[in-house]
Amino acid sequence: MAEKPRLKLPKEAKKGEIIEIKTLMPHVMESGQRKDKDGKTIPRRIINKFTAEFNGKPVFSATIEPAVAANPYLQFTAKVEESGTFKFSWTDDDGSIITAEEKITVA
Amino acid sequence: MRNMTRRAALAVGAGAVTLTVVGWNQGAHAAAKEAADDVAKFTGGKAATQGKITIELPEIAENGNTVPLTVSVDAPMTAENYVSDVLVVSEGNPNPGVVTFHFTPLSGKAEAQTRIRLAATQNIVVVAKTSKGEFYAAQKQVKVTIGGCGG
Amino acid sequence: MMRKRILVGSVAAAMLIAAGAFIVPPGSDANAQAGKRLPQLDTGDASAQPWKRYAGWPVRDASKFNTLANLASPPPPTAARKLTGPITGDSTKGAVLVADRNRGGSCLACHTMGPAGGTALPGNVGPDLSEIGNAGREDKWLFNYVFDARVYNPETVMPPWGGHGIFNEAEINDIVAFLKTLKSPAPYKTELDNPDKRPAPVEKRDNLDPIENPGMWAVDKAQELWKQKSAIGFSCNTCHSDPKESFKTWAASMPKWEPRLNKVLGVEEFVTRHTKATTGDTWLMETDENRVMSVYLHYLANGTPIKIDTTSAESKAAIERGKALSARKVGELNFACTDCHGKSANKWIRGQWLGEPKGQADHFPTWRTSLQAIWDIRQRFQWCQVNIRADELAPDAKEYGDLELYLVSQNEGQKLSVPGIRH
Repeated sequence: MAEKPRLKLPKEAKKGEIIEIKTLMPHVMESGQRKDKDGKTIPRRIINKFTAEFNGKPVFSATIEPAVAANPYLQFTAKVEESGTFKFSWTDDDGSIITAEEKITVA
Repeated sequence: MRNMTRRAALAVGAGAVTLTVVGWNQGAHAAAKEAADDVAKFTGGKAATQGKITIELPEIAENGNTVPLTVSVDAPMTAENYVSDVLVVSEGNPNPGVVTFHFTPLSGKAEAQTRIRLAATQNIVVVAKTSKGEFYAAQKQVKVTIGGCGG
Repeated sequence: MMRKRILVGSVAAAMLIAAGAFIVPPGSDANAQAGKRLPQLDTGDASAQPWKRYAGWPVRDASKFNTLANLASPPPPTAARKLTGPITGDSTKGAVLVADRNRGGSCLACHTMGPAGGTALPGNVGPDLSEIGNAGREDKWLFNYVFDARVYNPETVMPPWGGHGIFNEAEINDIVAFLKTLKSPAPYKTELDNPDKRPAPVEKRDNLDPIENPGMWAVDKAQELWKQKSAIGFSCNTCHSDPKESFKTWAASMPKWEPRLNKVLGVEEFVTRHTKATTGDTWLMETDENRVMSVYLHYLANGTPIKIDTTSAESKAAIERGKALSARKVGELNFACTDCHGKSANKWIRGQWLGEPKGQADHFPTWRTSLQAIWDIRQRFQWCQVNIRADELAPDAKEYGDLELYLVSQNEGQKLSVPGIRH
C-alpha cells in the first residue's frame, strides 16, 4: 500500500531566493536488523534514495541507509531563479519509484 | 576526527567484521571502526580538516527511533566552489552508514535535516566533500535515554 | 472474573437491526442527536476477548499480584527479617545486580549509586545512595530495606524486591555488600547524567503538522472511513453529514457514565458500540479503524477545554472509584499510579521523566515516535501495567473507565490537542 508523500514548500518566491523544502515519505523503513516472533530476521526494505530536481536540474539528493527513521524525512533548501517545477523521487528497495511534483512561481 | 590512512582503516574494518553486536560495548567498538572505514572510503584516504560543519542533534534523545539531525556546512555554494557530498556515519549502530547528502549549487545552502535511528548513546561523525576535493569533518555525541522500567 | 457477556458479532448487530431495535434516521445530525439515548450496542464486549497481550510486549506470570480488577499480592511484612550473621555478599556481583535492567528497571531507575552502571543517566525518585557506605547503617537495616522496605516505611514507593521474589536473599546480600562500598559522590561523566541537573524534556514539535506528526494521517483516513458504507449500506455520514460542526466539542466531554452499561465509556468504546448499532461495522477498541476514528473525533474538538460531568451522583462515584484504583498497588513491582505520577511526579526514573496527571489527557490518542504508532489512553494504561509487571485488563474493562474518568477530571480546562506527539 503506497501512501502519498508529504511535501511542504512555498508556492511563490522571489528570484534568487533560497527556499526551504520539507519532504516526508510514509514508509516502514524495515532495517533488516529486526527479528520476527520466530527469531527469523525480517528482510530489509527501505527507501534507499531520494532525489529533488528543479526544471530537470539536480538540486539535492540523498543516499539513505537503514539508520534513517521510518517515514523518511528530508529537509533541504533550493535557490530558485525562475518559475518551474520541482520533481521529487523516492526509490524503494523493491525497485519501485514514487514521484511527486510541485510548482513554484518566481517573480 | 582520526586521520587514518585507507589501508589502516580497512585493516581494522576487516577485524571488526568478526564481532557481532550482542553486548553494547563490543558492538560500539566494532561500529566505531567500521565508521572510520566508511569515512576512509569516502575521503579516499585523504585527511579531513576539522571545522566548517555544524551538527545539530538533541543532547539527550528521548528515544533512539527518530532523532532529528541537522547538518550544515559553511560554504559559498557557487558553481566554482560548493559542498558536493556530506557523509553521516554512526559509531554505535549495528551498521555505520546513516545517510549521504548530495548538494549542488542549486541547493543554495549545504544544509539538510533528517530523522535518524540510534541504537544507543554514541558519536555521529559527519564528513563533507567540496567540489575542489577538500574534506572537512566534525563529530557530536548524542545520548540516547535509558528507560526506567527496564525489560 | 469470568466474562459472561456475549462476543460482539455481526450476527448480534444484524439481529438487533432486524428486530427494529435501531432504525437509522436518515438525514441530519440534529436527527441523529435528537434523542438523549444514542443508539449503542448494550451487549457484548467492545474489545477482543479474551484479551491477548500485544506480540512484542513482555510475557510474564504476574498472576500472584494485584491488577486493577483483582487483589492477589502477598501482604506486606509485619516484622524485619533477622540475619543469621554479618552480610558476606559479593559486592562485585551486587554492582552488576543494581544495574540489571531485567529486574524491574534496576536500582538505578530511582537511585544514583556511585559508579554503578557507569553513572549513566540514573534517576532521582529515591535518594542518592553514593555515600550510603558512610551512613552507619546496620546490615540488618540495609538488608530489610532492600528486601521489603515497607517494614520500615509503609508509605514507601520502593518495590518489595525480596518480598515479591524479584531478587533472592543471596542476591540481596550481594546488593547490600555493594551498598557498603559506596563512600564517595557519584562520578558523573556529564552534567546530563546528574538527575538533579538534567533539564526536563520540553515538547516543542507542532503536533498538528502532518509532516511533523504522522499521527495526523489518521485524520485523513478517518474522513474516508466516515463515508465508507458498511455491508448494510450505512456510513457515519448517513446521520452525521457535517462532523466538523456537530463534533466540535463532543470529545472534550468524554468519558462519561453510561447507565445502560453501568460503566464509564470513553470515545473509543463509544465508537465501537455506536458503530455496531448503527452501521453494523465492527470497529473494536484498539483496532486501526477505532484508533483513527478516535483521533478524528478528538481532533474535531481540538482547542476545546476539557469539561466532563463531575457532578452527577454516578460520575462522582465513578471518579471516587477511579481515585481508589489510582492508589492501588499493582503488579510485581507494587506500584500505584500515584506512586510514579503523584509522589514521584516531575522526577526521573533513569532517563525518563515522570509526568503529573495534569497534562496527560489532552493529547490522547497520541503518536508515539518510539513505536511509530498511535496509542489511545487505554493502551497507555495497559502498557503502564505490563511495564510494572502486572496483568493488563481488556481495553473495555470498567476499571479503566473509572480510571480514565478520574484522570480526565484532573485535566479539566486543558485544551484538547490531538493527535499528540510523544516519545
